[in-house]
Amino acid sequence: MIKITNLEKIYRTEEVETIALNKLTIDVKEGEFVAIMGPSGCGKSTLLNILGLLDDPDGGSFIFNGVEVAHFNERKRADMRKHNIGFVFQSFNLIDELTVFENVELPLIYTGVKPADRKKRVEEVLDKMQIMHRRNHYPQQLSGGQQQRVAVARAVVNNPKLILADEPTGNLDSSNGNEVMELLTDLNEQGTTIVMVTHSEHDARFSHRIIRMLDGTTVTENILI
Amino acid sequence: MIKNYFKIAWRNLTRNRAYTIINVLGLTLGVACCILIYTLIMHHLSFDNFHNNKDRIYRVVSEYHDGDESGYNQGLPSPVGKAIRNTTTFAEQVARVISFDNELISLPKEKEVKKFQEPSGVAFVEPAFFSILNFPLVMGNQSTMLSSPNTAVITQKLAKKYFGSEEAAMNKTIRVENKTDFIITGVLKDLPNNTDRHQEIYVSYANLKDYSEWMADDANAWHGTYSECHCFVLLKKGVTTATANAALAQIVKNNYEGREAKARKYTVQPLADIHFDTKYDANTDKKYLWALAFIAVFLITTACVNFINLATAQALNRSKEIGIRKVLGSMRSQLFWQFIAETFIITFFAFCLAYWIAKMTVPYLNSLLHVEMELTFFRNYQLLLFLPLLLLAVVFLSGSYPGLVLARFQPVLALKSKLSQKHIGGFSLRRILVITQFAISQMLIIGAIVIASQMHYSQNADMGFTKDAIVILPVPDTTKVKMNNMRDRLSSLAGVEKISHGFSPPAAQSNNSSGAFYNNNPEPEHWSANQKTADNDYINTFGLQLIAGRNYVPSDTAKEYVVNETFVKNLGLQPKDILGKNISVNGPNHRFPVVGVVKDFYNLSFHSKIEPLVIYPDYGRYQNCAIKMNMNNIKSLLPAFEKIWNEEYPDYVYSYEFLDDKINKFYELDVMMLRLIQIFTGIAVFIGCLGLYGLVSFMAVRKTKEIGVRKVLGASVPNILWIFGKEFSKLLLIAFVISAPIGWWTMHKYLEDFVYRINIGAGIFMLSILATFAIAVVTVGYRSARAALANPVKSLRTE
Repeated sequence: MIKITNLEKIYRTEEVETIALNKLTIDVKEGEFVAIMGPSGCGKSTLLNILGLLDDPDGGSFIFNGVEVAHFNERKRADMRKHNIGFVFQSFNLIDELTVFENVELPLIYTGVKPADRKKRVEEVLDKMQIMHRRNHYPQQLSGGQQQRVAVARAVVNNPKLILADEPTGNLDSSNGNEVMELLTDLNEQGTTIVMVTHSEHDARFSHRIIRMLDGTTVTENILI
Repeated sequence: MIKNYFKIAWRNLTRNRAYTIINVLGLTLGVACCILIYTLIMHHLSFDNFHNNKDRIYRVVSEYHDGDESGYNQGLPSPVGKAIRNTTTFAEQVARVISFDNELISLPKEKEVKKFQEPSGVAFVEPAFFSILNFPLVMGNQSTMLSSPNTAVITQKLAKKYFGSEEAAMNKTIRVENKTDFIITGVLKDLPNNTDRHQEIYVSYANLKDYSEWMADDANAWHGTYSECHCFVLLKKGVTTATANAALAQIVKNNYEGREAKARKYTVQPLADIHFDTKYDANTDKKYLWALAFIAVFLITTACVNFINLATAQALNRSKEIGIRKVLGSMRSQLFWQFIAETFIITFFAFCLAYWIAKMTVPYLNSLLHVEMELTFFRNYQLLLFLPLLLLAVVFLSGSYPGLVLARFQPVLALKSKLSQKHIGGFSLRRILVITQFAISQMLIIGAIVIASQMHYSQNADMGFTKDAIVILPVPDTTKVKMNNMRDRLSSLAGVEKISHGFSPPAAQSNNSSGAFYNNNPEPEHWSANQKTADNDYINTFGLQLIAGRNYVPSDTAKEYVVNETFVKNLGLQPKDILGKNISVNGPNHRFPVVGVVKDFYNLSFHSKIEPLVIYPDYGRYQNCAIKMNMNNIKSLLPAFEKIWNEEYPDYVYSYEFLDDKINKFYELDVMMLRLIQIFTGIAVFIGCLGLYGLVSFMAVRKTKEIGVRKVLGASVPNILWIFGKEFSKLLLIAFVISAPIGWWTMHKYLEDFVYRINIGAGIFMLSILATFAIAVVTVGYRSARAALANPVKSLRTE
């Protein structure tokens, strides 16, 4: 599903040049659950941003679903993103001014789903995440675990092929963290590919494969199953 | 999607109440002023545009060009109108209208004799007047109503006032100036408030001879021009103004000789120009309307600048939302339109409020500006078009830039709150916008100070005569016995110091001018002289200063003349040289010696230069009685004047006016302009303050950490305040550098209209920058002080 070859990303300021990704090469197969680990500044988040088509690489190749996307313009990237990729963030990133229902509905609005259909699909996913009773609440009225479940619901409502999770349990206690990891595992078992950046060995063990990074490149890969 | 835009917009606005209130308030004030100015401009542009043939209707006006001397007059000798009808072919219809203001109307045949002083007066009109101009009738037959002598047409308003109803008024009698009776043969629908024809009583032209024999004399009245003797023509279809003017030139050629034939010129003036051509009798200057239009643009710009400033400053607070939306697949254009939707909500709300405020304000503006404007949205298609267009313009002007800034956010940086000032256009853009606001405010402040100073100068400068404590009473009957009685009775009152009968006070809007003949020259000079007819107490009563010779001896008619310095200078003489020399005004046959020269005084307003002037007695032309009194006796004197006047003139309606009030009326238009500028300056400054307050609040929040760190390192409160002060002082100075030359140039142009004017000195600019500085200090002071006084521990923890 994902094939990146010799990927490079360099951050430049007037005086300093920082190599975030250094000729990185990774493959992720469809249906796989991959965890990416490494110390702060090793390039994990940069990699995730490029995989999520939120950022451009400076060099190398990025093939997503058989299409070279490394140099897509913003419009194509947005289009590819909204139809194929779901995001789960450490800080949930829900819009405070929207209710639970409206937050989950948002990706469907951007993909042009009709209102009646949207309602049905949002209710289904909220039901599945067991937060239907909170549908009219605002994010600040929910616990961290509930907020992350809403974020997961929002990530999956469009049935994306790929979910990118950036330290999804980083702001949660262990009990809520486990719940979220189980949700991701369930989604993976239903066929969704997951790439997760984490610092937690515990969370990483939910994945099929752990890629460890250092200084913008992979240093080891552990296959867990 | 649209619903979602509006939903989130509404929630955002309700959550950031302070931001919303500042924006709504600023926009509301700006738009309300804009609506009022638009209404005022459209009101003036609509004058007399309702006549069916408005494009073919013209007024014939006079010009006089003799040597260096040029004059323009909306009136013309009455025979010109007849000559147009009888000797030319360019006009389909011709109508003469000769009007006299402030006439006495009485109802002689009613049970109880009623008297009314009608300020709008009476117009003698030829029947074609109502075919050329469309003033609808509610009663009567247009084709016959004024064709017979002693017939009159009045408005509905007067019909009700005099007789109770329009029906009751028909065939009733009114008497004009206790002289001539007229039977009412028609009732006009009340005149619209957008016409310059303000007479409400129209009487048959055939009766003009009873009122002014010389003016009605079509054979001999070719040489006198009465400014209210007008002639309207309806051009035949296809006839150009050039053809009409050529025919009028032929009339001059056929009826005048010598220098007069060369000097006189008659031209046609389009109906649409009558309201605006200040060369003639218009009192609305288009350049004032333009100035107001610019102020409206300034106000809207200031409000939009506020919006842009605050919205871009707020943009950082919304970075997370923007980041999420981008991650979820939102396109730039979608984010842009989302912000435009938000702007639309704020702006729409502001427009509704502004319309309401404008509607509530119109009556006050009407009384302030002496106009009768209406503000009706659904009945006014122009407003119906203007307001939505303005709404769209404001939405895009205010919303586009912040919308683009928001839509341009990098999602990764936005989500991590790593966006900084440079991502929202940096401080430089907002600096430019604040400079724009300061510059606009300063320009308006400079304008307001200059106009106020000129007004103060005009109203308080020494005009060369006494204007305080002088009351002017009308003289409706110029028989000598009556005037002597009045003088004797008034003189006996305690507190009356001096009395003089005359045509007009030293400075007056109505003046008589004629050619002046010096010595035995058969030809008049190349300039005309203003004439003041008055008894020989005139010079003393008004405190005029004799610089050579003496006052003329008491007389009923001219036997000696007194002239002013300008008259002498125009002849190239010294004051003493003219004494004993004969001069003549009113034709070459009234040659009498000059016995005195008075120091120049302003015989018109400061808009006009001092004219050569001749003073002489001629009791038949006296219209005013000037009484110089001791102001300590005013309470007893005013009722005594009224009593004596009513006893002496029982058939007339009493009125009085203080001379200084009369003179202040010269500057009515300027005073109105000053009031408007003051109001709009105040509003512009207030809108600017709102924006400044919003901006400094934002700056204070962004600088919380910096302030905390500085305080920990030992900075004092003044040090911290200077962070804000330095920033705004710099902007203020740059704005001043921009506004000062523009303000100077604009006001220099404005002052060019005054022959006697103030100098735009450095003081005016100092005052403007100090005022702006004081306003800025008050606006940013509180918020800056709060930031400076905050506990650094708390601010660092917050950060």
